[in-house]
Amino acid sequence: MNADNTGAGWVGPLAAAAGLALAGAQWFIFGYAPVEATMGVVQKIFYPHLGLAWWGMFSFFTVFAAGALYLWKREARFDRLAGAAAEVGVLFSALALVCGSLWARPIWNVWWTWDPRLTTALIMCFIYAAYLVLRASGLGRERRALVCAVVGVAAFLDVPLVFISARMWRSIHPAVFKRQGGGLEPEMLLALFVTLFAFGLLWLCLVALRARQLAAAERASALAAGRMGL
Amino acid sequence: MIRPALVIAGKDLRLVLAGGVGLAQPVLLGLLLVFVFSLARPAGELVPPQAAAGVFWLASLFAMVLIYNTLYSLEEAHGARTGLLLAPLAPQAVWLGKGLAGAGLLVVSQVVFLPAAMIFLGQDFHGGVGLALLTLLAGDLGVCVLGSLLGALAQGQAARESLLTVVLFPLLVPLLLAGVRLGGLYFEGALEWEAAASWLGLAAAFDAVFAAAALILFPFVYTGED
Repeated sequence: MNADNTGAGWVGPLAAAAGLALAGAQWFIFGYAPVEATMGVVQKIFYPHLGLAWWGMFSFFTVFAAGALYLWKREARFDRLAGAAAEVGVLFSALALVCGSLWARPIWNVWWTWDPRLTTALIMCFIYAAYLVLRASGLGRERRALVCAVVGVAAFLDVPLVFISARMWRSIHPAVFKRQGGGLEPEMLLALFVTLFAFGLLWLCLVALRARQLAAAERASALAAGRMGL
Repeated sequence: MIRPALVIAGKDLRLVLAGGVGLAQPVLLGLLLVFVFSLARPAGELVPPQAAAGVFWLASLFAMVLIYNTLYSLEEAHGARTGLLLAPLAPQAVWLGKGLAGAGLLVVSQVVFLPAAMIFLGQDFHGGVGLALLTLLAGDLGVCVLGSLLGALAQGQAARESLLTVVLFPLLVPLLLAGVRLGGLYFEGALEWEAAASWLGLAAAFDAVFAAAALILFPFVYTGED
């Protein structure tokens, strides 16, 4: 429990840093990086899109790691970390899908295509949304933590299988869309890294805040139970 | 671990089949699914083979959820779960036993679903029975491995079927894709080794990964707590 209280010191400055970094990233995206020749200003979506997608995937890895640590150590803070990371992960991945879709409409001329990456991201969203449903389903505290840790571990094992199967599924069909090649301008690459860093700070901040909130909620309900003499 | 698992599987099968009601619900639900999907077929047109295979696997998955739910609710009355946990056997034996019992029940349901899919969705019976059986085996194995692992997760919960469905279905997507593609090939009469090998490999990888995971994770799910 002490670890949660001492965490109060660094989340504030971190939030301020994340805000500044996001503002800076906006300048890098719109002021510094050149406008892409063929896609035009729509390409700017790509920077936050990649930030959201990467950190969304990282959240899912965090759910897996925290779940495994919970099964090993049985410390409640790992359960709270997994819960917080799953919530932020579902939010980030869903936003990544939405802004990717907004980008795809003018560029690919469709809102959605069964690209392996898109399919994997969507299925991951479903899996971790189900994980959140399970967390909210009113199991006992210990039991919920155990079951969620098991599902979190199993869900992450599924990621490579989902990706491979989505790729095999599509390979039968002709490749309608070629992916845009990687060759980014150096200015674009720098803007990309700044955005990724800014979203990383935001991610850390959100997860830390949410984990603290969950800890506070647990303390509050424990206190209330104590008052009522339960 | 094998002998206790067989004992558990035998006990569960006797309990479920004793009244005859146990299997009626999953079979009926699957049949209804196949029938309702057949209504979506415009008169005089054929259902695409792959769509028919998808309906077949969906029926199997819904049946599987009901089957594992029934199997794990057998121990909920009179604290029988505590008794099973106290018995001198590895917890994984429970997973294996329930998995085997569920696999048996699932195969029986599929014996009904397959002809139903052929009749209602207008598919033909083709050769290549060996590969078709291999597809069924690879698919059912993965479905039962995961169903038996997660079937216990909502023990003591209201609305556990819906919870189980929501958690299991997205996890089973790779296996479902393999089953749909292979089943589609079978209904087309084009199920041959070259076309099927990579999908069978994927299904086998799924089975292996989750069987290994279940051996490690099951003792955490199957506990005395409520």
